[in-house]
Amino acid sequence: MIATWYAIVSLMLIIYVALDGRNFGAGIVHWFVARTPEERRQVIAAIGPLWSWHEVWLVGFGGTLLAVFPRLMASAFAGYYLALFLILWCLILRGMSIEVGDHINDRLWQGFWDFIFVFSSFLLAILFGAAAGNLARGVPLDSQGNFSMPFFTDFGVHGNVGLLDWYTLSVAIFTLVLLAAHGSTYLVLKTDGPVHDRSVTCAKYLWTATIPLFLLISVESWVVRPDIPIHAIHNPFCSLGLFVIMVSTSTLISGLSAHRESRAFLGSNFLIVGLLVTGGAAIFPVMLYSTLGTENSLTAYAVASSRTSLLLAAVWWPIGFVLTMTYFMFVSRRYAAKVSLKRDTQNLY
Amino acid sequence: MTATISDPAFWSRFQFGFTIIYHYLFPQLTMGLAWFLVYWKWRALKTGDEKYNKAFRFWAKIFGLNFAIGVVTGIPMEFQFGTNWADFSRYAGGVIGQTLGMEGMFAFFLESAFIGALIWGEKRLGPRYHFLAAVAVALGSWSSGFFILVTNAFMQHPTGYRIDANGLLGIANLSGYLFNPWALVEFSHNQMAALVTGSFVIAAVGAFYRLRGLHPVQARLYLRAGTLIALISSVLVAVPTGDQQAKMVGKHQPVTLAAMEGKFAGSSMAGVALIGQPNVAARRLDNPIEVPGALSFLAYGTFQSYVHGLDEYPATVWPDNIELLYYSFHLMITLGTIFILLMAFANFQSWRGQLESCTWLLWILMLAFPLPYIANTVGWMTAELGRQPWLVYGLFRTGEGYSKVVSNGDTIFTLIGFIGLYFVLGLLFLYLTGRELGRGPEEEAAPSHEPEPVEVVAGFRKESLV
Repeated sequence: MIATWYAIVSLMLIIYVALDGRNFGAGIVHWFVARTPEERRQVIAAIGPLWSWHEVWLVGFGGTLLAVFPRLMASAFAGYYLALFLILWCLILRGMSIEVGDHINDRLWQGFWDFIFVFSSFLLAILFGAAAGNLARGVPLDSQGNFSMPFFTDFGVHGNVGLLDWYTLSVAIFTLVLLAAHGSTYLVLKTDGPVHDRSVTCAKYLWTATIPLFLLISVESWVVRPDIPIHAIHNPFCSLGLFVIMVSTSTLISGLSAHRESRAFLGSNFLIVGLLVTGGAAIFPVMLYSTLGTENSLTAYAVASSRTSLLLAAVWWPIGFVLTMTYFMFVSRRYAAKVSLKRDTQNLY
Repeated sequence: MTATISDPAFWSRFQFGFTIIYHYLFPQLTMGLAWFLVYWKWRALKTGDEKYNKAFRFWAKIFGLNFAIGVVTGIPMEFQFGTNWADFSRYAGGVIGQTLGMEGMFAFFLESAFIGALIWGEKRLGPRYHFLAAVAVALGSWSSGFFILVTNAFMQHPTGYRIDANGLLGIANLSGYLFNPWALVEFSHNQMAALVTGSFVIAAVGAFYRLRGLHPVQARLYLRAGTLIALISSVLVAVPTGDQQAKMVGKHQPVTLAAMEGKFAGSSMAGVALIGQPNVAARRLDNPIEVPGALSFLAYGTFQSYVHGLDEYPATVWPDNIELLYYSFHLMITLGTIFILLMAFANFQSWRGQLESCTWLLWILMLAFPLPYIANTVGWMTAELGRQPWLVYGLFRTGEGYSKVVSNGDTIFTLIGFIGLYFVLGLLFLYLTGRELGRGPEEEAAPSHEPEPVEVVAGFRKESLV
């Protein structure tokens, strides 16, 4: 039961990263792939009318986490205090930049919101990456299951760590490049004309850059948490995740080289899913690892709600999931086509 | 129990209070407007009259702006349960997390999937699906209100829970929790209040155009629909929903009722003060002018009913800001009374066919739109200040619930950040809304909002035209 809930909340977060990650990615490469004001409108239009639906996966994740792992939410959210508020503020800015940027057809106005869009997307990718690094490295949990963490301490990975150190920064940079590549692949699929061509180039360079970064953080992860690989070998979900990574990587490469844009984007999505499934399975059952002593770590079993709460949540969650996927299919089918500069000169959706 | 300025619980409360009051300025209008949009879209479908479509498109833009700010200011609310109220989340998360999760899964997903299509997708969806999108967004926004009010009702009057072996709250009975009698009353009261805001705003815009002599057809539509719904909802917000709410408080939170009235000594024939300033140190209401028996009647149904006084309870269970609670409550009922009188007169003039020619009334209708926002805000302040000193009434104190690991330095830092960011959001909102109002409903939408001509949208599906 608890393992299933661990899988479900992880799934919600993974879906969020894959969906909103492409919007962050489009934001990161925005200035590179779109040069004229019209092209920049095209990128925003390509994100489409469902960006708030994407963001709701994060909200749904927060609510579900509170219902099924309340003690984790309490420890983690209070501990990540400043980082979380930075994420929230960036999400506010990002949402506003998409929503109000198109309200006034004026160079200054749109230029300003384009800057906010790029800036917030960039920072969000870094912050989410650092958060992922923190999950793997661990946080300074005390014996009460609490922690409070400054942005940085001595940039070391043991003992009283901060949010940023050499390891979490590497994961943040990897995330930045990965999401930028993901967003470019999305823009390849959703745009035409010059934005499309520049996105193709961007995607190729960025995906190439992820390879050495991935190898680097793999080695670093092994150094920081040598216990994880030993643990992971016995978890079938890790093998599944690795399998997904391999299949999706080949799908992505073949899609990009054969100009099969949907295939490439599918591969890109599943590559992110595979990476996160592998990571999520490798750390299970520990949800928050303590750098001050393994005995302080919080496992899913220790932070879960009562059995009744879990069972009740198991009733409404699947219903909500089926419903929301239905809405998604209904709306996204109507916005399936490419956003074209020639056809959609100004309008968004 | 008194919150002092160096108390970390105070700063977390202040931040939550500030962000929630600001946030709720936006959803109250979207919830109030949502059914107007559904109605106009439906009329447009039925009659084919373009004026309903124009009204729909115009208000959909206002709705969209409100919705966007409502969404971006709403996300921090959920996260603050964890960041600033960690001990409360740990204690009650297994219960309140259920409805917060359901809100995401059932309400937010529904709203967010259809909002873009509602505002810009008229051509892409076709009229029927567009109507369905309006219904979906309305249902989404109201069900979101329901789940949040169930959560709040649990904090006001916990039901359906049990205390687990580890001392934390768990859910015992889902229907007992979801259909908490307090939640049903609070939800109806709150939704009627949202309709008051929506209809006052619509009437105000109608009056604004009428006074300037612009958009006569639309102005008439807004004035008629706005004043009619404003009267109905203003009455319903008082009777039966407000009345039931007062009885609920009288029954389950008698000490709160005493504090709301600044009533220190219990008595029968208890009055409602029209004027008076609570003096907590001297334990009396200064300069009182009261309607005798009114409170006894409102809370318990007869003039002779005994109303408890604060003196009958230890000061440790008194709400910790009796003065603010007293003024919030009185401001709410004063405004509520004004709403009924104003809208009764407006409807009388409308029935006589003189609403549009009565200039002074139009001026009042135009300038009255901030009042429901104030009434909604002080209504919520009454509920939340009245709940003090409890976070979960009778079970868990507010002073126990905040995050012990978060320093005042962190909370004040984020509070300052929110104040700055929300100030800018407010300016932006006022500017963009003012711009839409200036353009008006008649002008064909600007290029950036113009839906694509059907033929040129690649991938467009004919079946969606229906």
